[in-house]
Amino acid sequence: MITAAHPVAPEQLMALLDGELPVDEAQAVSAHLEHCAECAELVGQFRAVSGSLASWTVDDAPASFEESVMAQASAPAKALRTHTFRIFNWKLWALGGAVATALLLYIPTVGSFRKAGTRTVMEQRAIQPYAASQPVAQPPTMELDQLASGGFAAATRAPGVAKDTNGLFHSVQEQSIPESAVAMKAGRADRPVNGRSDRLTSLDASTAPTAPMIARTIDLNIMVRDFPAARGALDAIVARHHGYAAHLSATTTDNTPRILQDSLRIPSPELASAVAEIKSLGRVIGESQTGEEVTQQHADLAARLQNSRETEERLRDILAQRTGKIEDVLQVEEEIARVRGEIERMESDQKTLEHRVDFASVDLYLNEEYKEQFGTPSTSVSTRIGNAFVNGMRNAASMLLGMVLFIEEAGPVVMIWLAILGVPALLLWRRYRRMRAKV
Amino acid sequence: MEDAMPAFVLHSEAAHSGTMNDAPANSSVDSDEQLMLAFARGANGAFTTLFERYKQPLFGFFRRRVADPAHAEELAQETFLAVLRGASRYEATALFRTWLYAIAFKILRAHRRKAAFRATFLGAPAEIPEPAAAGSLDVEVMMRQAVWALDAIDREVLLLREFEQLSYAEIASLLGLPLNTVRSRLFRARMALHTLLAPATANVKEAL
Repeated sequence: MITAAHPVAPEQLMALLDGELPVDEAQAVSAHLEHCAECAELVGQFRAVSGSLASWTVDDAPASFEESVMAQASAPAKALRTHTFRIFNWKLWALGGAVATALLLYIPTVGSFRKAGTRTVMEQRAIQPYAASQPVAQPPTMELDQLASGGFAAATRAPGVAKDTNGLFHSVQEQSIPESAVAMKAGRADRPVNGRSDRLTSLDASTAPTAPMIARTIDLNIMVRDFPAARGALDAIVARHHGYAAHLSATTTDNTPRILQDSLRIPSPELASAVAEIKSLGRVIGESQTGEEVTQQHADLAARLQNSRETEERLRDILAQRTGKIEDVLQVEEEIARVRGEIERMESDQKTLEHRVDFASVDLYLNEEYKEQFGTPSTSVSTRIGNAFVNGMRNAASMLLGMVLFIEEAGPVVMIWLAILGVPALLLWRRYRRMRAKV
Repeated sequence: MEDAMPAFVLHSEAAHSGTMNDAPANSSVDSDEQLMLAFARGANGAFTTLFERYKQPLFGFFRRRVADPAHAEELAQETFLAVLRGASRYEATALFRTWLYAIAFKILRAHRRKAAFRATFLGAPAEIPEPAAAGSLDVEVMMRQAVWALDAIDREVLLLREFEQLSYAEIASLLGLPLNTVRSRLFRARMALHTLLAPATANVKEAL
């Protein structure tokens, strides 16, 4: 229809009709159109198409449409806006921010009020016994009791008290400078080590509040420059403070920093000074301290121990005073053996617990601050290059082999699943495309 | 009804597309953009005017693209609600008409996706309930069939040009196509429609 030599492209003609041509181009095309029958025919076709499309009219928009839209439009603007929830609603953000700020301000204030309250109570308690009591007449357990309840700390904070009761105060201070020492001494005070009756212990434990027994654990991570020297110094520190190493492992390989992992047990009274010395070995890069309160556990154990002992005693009395059949006697003896076993187990538990309180545990990591050193590597350069190449080839081969094996192993199953899932999915997808074109 | 005028009835009018027969004459009255900005500032009357201008074109937009008239009404309503809600986000950089049809087009696409999904999984193929009214039923059915026979994008380009009377550039931005593609697709669609509508065209010619 349109020859190759035709100066006006049919699309240009169409654009002219649509008013989409620039003025100069439009003039040229119109001029051509004047005396070109082919183009005139084409224009006729375009007009015919538009004309027939124009006959495709639609019915008027229903009244219900207008009503509902206008109802929405006349609704107050605010009600309409709340319909859409927007994340960047500045009012909401402002409200949230205000609430958060208020909370942040409120929480520390409440905390400090509470602290202030408890402190005044403690101070009162501290003043009463020290002011009223005679320095020497105070039983030693009472002192420790006061110490444990924080009286000591409060007393140091109240200078007036320190002056009034200087005699006692100094003695207390001496005993209690390392915090752990207090715990230890207190623990020992209510625990007769040298075989006195346990009844007293349990009474102490149940009635009078005792000083807390605290099992301490300290984690230390220290970076040292001179590793061998630090190790020597560490051994010396442990020996000086009568501690011991419960577990020790050291790794020493070429061209890597050396690491010493050491689990130490240090007597509680000497813990603070020992830790300070250990810290001075190098740079502390990590430290954590935990204290587990085992007073309750200990008291509980003591009470149970006492009960078992009483049971044992009674059983022995029965055996001594009563007569009976052989099997009854045997039964009582069996029972005694069982109770005895229980007692021994509890005693060992108690010892362990006491040991944990007496000896604080220090988990120490000594890391060497490693400096890379020049020097001949253990294997020659050419060997290493060769090794790397061989390793690389081997890895590549094993990876390929692994892939082949995987495909062989998993392939059939994957194919089955693809068939099971893929075919319906494909059908559904086709159906969706078809529907999409129809709707 | 008056929205259905084709893009060019008179050759001379095609030159300035701003005052197309369908587009409201905005010489004396406020332009769409002014009205929209006024509405965004809170003048409810402005929206009423806009709605009056565009309710029929917009209804027509959906009516020609969606088989079910009830759906068409629903979607047109949804579009105007979107305009109400999005009024504060309207910026005068775009023509109101372009903006409106962009919204309508998005809503239409969402509707098609949903409807196709439903039809796929619930197996309820969209029955086309033929409207019982109107003497133009035959024409409508014929047109619909002819237009649906076109490629989807060609069809969209053609409809936007012929009925919504958007410029090539507007169509290009709306459909995300290059301008040249719009032109060539439009050409292709018109040529294809010409052969599809050969008998009808003959009738129209006779009538003319």
